[in-house]
Amino acid sequence: MIDTLSLALTHGLLLLIAWRLFSRDDLDDETGNAGKPKPKPRRWGR
Amino acid sequence: MRDFAFIGFLLVLFWFALRRPFLFVLSYVYVDTLQPQRLSYLLFNKVPVSLICFGLAFASWLFVGDKSETKMSPRQWMMTALLCYCWMTTQSADFPTEAALKWGWVWKSLIFAVFLPFTLNTRLRMEALAMFMIVSASSIIIVGGIKTLVTGGGYGSLNLMVTNNSGIYESSTISMVAIAIIPIIMFFLKHGTIFPLPDWRVKLFCYALIFACILIPIGTQARTGLICAAVIFVMSLRHAKRPFLFLSLALVLGLVSLPLLPKSFTARMGTINNYQADSSASTRIAVWKWTWAFAQDHPFGGGFEAYRQNKIHYEAKNTTETGSSVDVQQTTIVDAGRAFHSSYFEMLGEQGYPGFLLWITIHLLGLWRMEKVYRRFKMRAPKDGLWISDLASALQKAHVCYLIGSLFVGMAFQSFVYMLVGIQIAVDVYASRILDQESWRPMRGGTAKVEQWNKPKRGLTPQPE
Repeated sequence: MIDTLSLALTHGLLLLIAWRLFSRDDLDDETGNAGKPKPKPRRWGR
Repeated sequence: MRDFAFIGFLLVLFWFALRRPFLFVLSYVYVDTLQPQRLSYLLFNKVPVSLICFGLAFASWLFVGDKSETKMSPRQWMMTALLCYCWMTTQSADFPTEAALKWGWVWKSLIFAVFLPFTLNTRLRMEALAMFMIVSASSIIIVGGIKTLVTGGGYGSLNLMVTNNSGIYESSTISMVAIAIIPIIMFFLKHGTIFPLPDWRVKLFCYALIFACILIPIGTQARTGLICAAVIFVMSLRHAKRPFLFLSLALVLGLVSLPLLPKSFTARMGTINNYQADSSASTRIAVWKWTWAFAQDHPFGGGFEAYRQNKIHYEAKNTTETGSSVDVQQTTIVDAGRAFHSSYFEMLGEQGYPGFLLWITIHLLGLWRMEKVYRRFKMRAPKDGLWISDLASALQKAHVCYLIGSLFVGMAFQSFVYMLVGIQIAVDVYASRILDQESWRPMRGGTAKVEQWNKPKRGLTPQPE
């Protein structure tokens, strides 16, 4: 009972952490450019 | 049922990781810390889940990870050297079969520690990793804490969900881990960004977890835990705003809680002084003497599990008081194949002087680097990198706790600690990057240009505190 309760609590919390990280762009990039489309490289002379 | 819950949990984590590949790293951290295979009954323990998670973590970094600033730090080189050296000693080990078994998990622990800093290139990643480590370990700590409150615990009798209490589930190791993570939990209370502060639920969970952490040495009755707690307490005095008030409060709290402690706990802690009457402590001293002599004859170590060849004998004194007379009985105890009971002697006996020197350098360098980072950033404003100083300080305290606990417990390759080393390296690299960016100034150009060049780059964006 105690084991299950503790495992349920911590695993629920781990999922909540994962969920919150999922929606944070600064997880992968702190410059603030995450998620923005990269500018298309221009061809020479155009 | 529990098997399905674990599998479902990991699948959800993997699903998240498909969008945020760093979560593969966190899934490995979870599996390596809690070892859910050991808690399952049927399905889960047949699958090499740890290897799968590591493979996914490595592949995700290799194919989609940011490798623009990937550089091996001196400690990563040292851990690689230690890994190669351990492989060599395993080839010529005195007990090849047993050594190969230990090598089977040591290499994973070391390789992951070398790999980890490459993935921790943002503040949020460091925070997420530390949080996953703590919450995974708290599965065991909360169980231990509640059972201690209910039953009072007992030496070797506190059930931490598994029957074979090796690795992190071993009573002394979990006591050390429980105490070592307290400073990191305190860090989250001050600087956590995953759960926005101030939030009463976050505070409640953190303080309850700290309480459970303190209960673990009481429940397991591991003396190492008490010593580690004393070390953390003394180190915390350094950062306390009002050290005398802190000291007085702790003394009052200690005195009030003393009658509430189980009698078996106070009796066992009393044997710290009277070590000659305690066979566990006397065995340790005898094994350490044997290891020292063994290292003189085998300077390059005897490979993993070399302790199996030891034969020790020691005199145990048993003092009994009857009225005014004290009766001292001396008995000679003969023993064989006793474990090292100390990480320092474990390294010396198994890996010899080169392995020991590499290992101790990795750890002492960590303490020194964290001290440097702490001092460099401690005067900063909360939005300008104070968190770096506080994280460095928390990691340093946890590391000191490990090094003191290691005096009495053989846990030289404990993966939880190597993950802490990995975060330390990442914090160090992150701090150096910030200092480099701040010190860089263009040689020409007006003020406007300077400002333009000093625009926040990676790692300089102010974070919510």
